[in-house]
Amino acid sequence: MKKTDIGVVAFIYAVCLLFLIMTLQLPSAAQTYPMFIIILLAALTTLYVLQMAVGAKRRGVTSGLEDFEGFLPRQFFPVLGMVIVYLVIMYFAGFYIATLLFMAACLLFLKVPKWQILLSTGVILALVYCAFTLFLKVKLPMGLLFK
Amino acid sequence: MLETLALMGHGFVNALFPVNILAMAAGTTIGIVIGCLPGLSAAMGVALLLPMTFTMDASTGLIMLGAIYCGAIFGGSISAILIHTPGTPASAATAIEGYQMTLQGRAGKALGTACISSFFGGLLSCISLYFFAPLLAQLAMKFGSPEYFWLSIFGLTIIAGVSSKSMVKGLISGALGLLLSTIGMDPMEGVKRFMFGQSSLYEGINTTCALIGLFSMSQALILAEQKIKQRARATKFSDKMMLTKAEMKQIAPTVGRSWIIGNLIGILPGAGASIACFLGYNTARQFSKEKEKFGHGSIEGVAGSEAANNAVTGGSLIPMLTLGIPGESVTAVLMGGLIIQGLTPGPDLFVGETAQMTYTFFAGFVLIQFFMLGIGLLGCRGFAQISRLSDAILIPAVSVLCVVGSYAIHKNFVDVVIMLIFGVLGYLCRKFDLNTAAIVLALILGPIGEKGLRRSLALSGGNPSILFSTPVCWVLIALCVFGILSPILMNRMEKNAVEKAGGDMPDESGDDPVRTSD
Repeated sequence: MKKTDIGVVAFIYAVCLLFLIMTLQLPSAAQTYPMFIIILLAALTTLYVLQMAVGAKRRGVTSGLEDFEGFLPRQFFPVLGMVIVYLVIMYFAGFYIATLLFMAACLLFLKVPKWQILLSTGVILALVYCAFTLFLKVKLPMGLLFK
Repeated sequence: MLETLALMGHGFVNALFPVNILAMAAGTTIGIVIGCLPGLSAAMGVALLLPMTFTMDASTGLIMLGAIYCGAIFGGSISAILIHTPGTPASAATAIEGYQMTLQGRAGKALGTACISSFFGGLLSCISLYFFAPLLAQLAMKFGSPEYFWLSIFGLTIIAGVSSKSMVKGLISGALGLLLSTIGMDPMEGVKRFMFGQSSLYEGINTTCALIGLFSMSQALILAEQKIKQRARATKFSDKMMLTKAEMKQIAPTVGRSWIIGNLIGILPGAGASIACFLGYNTARQFSKEKEKFGHGSIEGVAGSEAANNAVTGGSLIPMLTLGIPGESVTAVLMGGLIIQGLTPGPDLFVGETAQMTYTFFAGFVLIQFFMLGIGLLGCRGFAQISRLSDAILIPAVSVLCVVGSYAIHKNFVDVVIMLIFGVLGYLCRKFDLNTAAIVLALILGPIGEKGLRRSLALSGGNPSILFSTPVCWVLIALCVFGILSPILMNRMEKNAVEKAGGDMPDESGDDPVRTSD
């Protein structure tokens, strides 16, 4: 058994609880199917808890952190943060400005040589422009500032 | 019969339209690039480029996605042979013999063998697509609501097959997907369910956004968590890629056997190209007259593995197109491609005007194999250089394509946020051994099952015996039992095959590339 699985189980139970609360607010005829799925999910999770308990008895408990071997929090979280900030900037400043900033910032952070940053950013912007704006005629977000 | 032949003929005429030819060429090239990049998988590539096809004609869009699929399966062999790092799990067995040939200065020959075997494997798999798909579709046309309910249950039992280390965790992933599929309007009562005040969730979670998040964005996050590695320089080669007559004669029986193996594996739910490549490789060794060459650079080994993994492609499309049941992650994504076009996967694809589209796709699928052969043979040297592209560039590039792709579907910013949420969910699922493919299957099949169940009960006045009222229902129930038991058999088959081949076990989710060596 992995200790990290306790977190997984807690998360699934929390999801079940959240959906249960919302289901109880539905008219009774609409409750049956979601309720069935919630019970199924909770039952399977409970079955897994039992499996975990048996596994802990037989094979002992491991931290589960071995799955995160080589995990670089100082690289992962800034990249995830940049993706989130990218979406926020896109909302206000539009797709192309946000993409330019995101690509440059992310590549700089990941220590890509400068000429490769210029090339990659240019290629991606050109690719998106040709494929989505010219070919598919998709109006990409303009941003609140430019509307 | 005559009608089918006419449809086949029309299909080829339509598939030869310039726009379709362009889609084949572009799709195959993109697929090979994605396949040869360790870190990107076929499912991820198809998911990422799905939004590109939504303004295209349905057959053109499907041809493009099919080309990406076939190209990616073949592309994985390039990095497997040249840098001993399979681009996709489907090429894990190819790395064993292919890299040995590279060390002996026969990289060109190994790539040529991979290309030609992939071509024949893929081409032969089209035979089963042409002959079995219409038969199965005819059977499915007789299905009513109770049968559709059991069909979706059968599809969901496949979840157990695609499940990762723990079957229970796979089933939990499936149930989580089912719960997420209830978001949106209740199909019978017209009540808003779990929409969190977002009117854009009226029709439920956009499956394509979920696919992009679960397969592509999560992969970018997986790449972002590890130290960026410098990939080995791809070996330059100068030997001839074309095979001699004697070599062609030598690999022909192997290709034939691998075709049968790959096709059957493709049709079976829950199994995929990663299993087929090892089975194809082992069978090649068993029947080879030069067993001693295995492990030291045997072209039969490369041919066995590559013909088998490409033979999976045609077979795997059969249950998805005829029954609306995707057997594994790539076909689940391809099914998303059909849904995006407003088509309902299942027997309806073989009726009326839609049948023309389906047969155009079939014909396109045949022609894709020729493009794969041509582009593969001519472009191997270039693709080999692309396989060195750093993860540091892939991370932001894939993220941007995920964002723009999910936005383009409905031009809705909420879809982008949903994609990101599913990206993080997919990342966590992969870290904690939950299964992203199971979530996707449940998201797709959940609404079908719910409608089938509730319509059946409405028809029978709430009497559940309607669900057991026809012989087809019982056949489907038996298939459900088989679906649950099949993973045990599959796991055993895969373990045996890998052990005999002396390779590394592919990642069972089928999403991650296997690195036999860095």
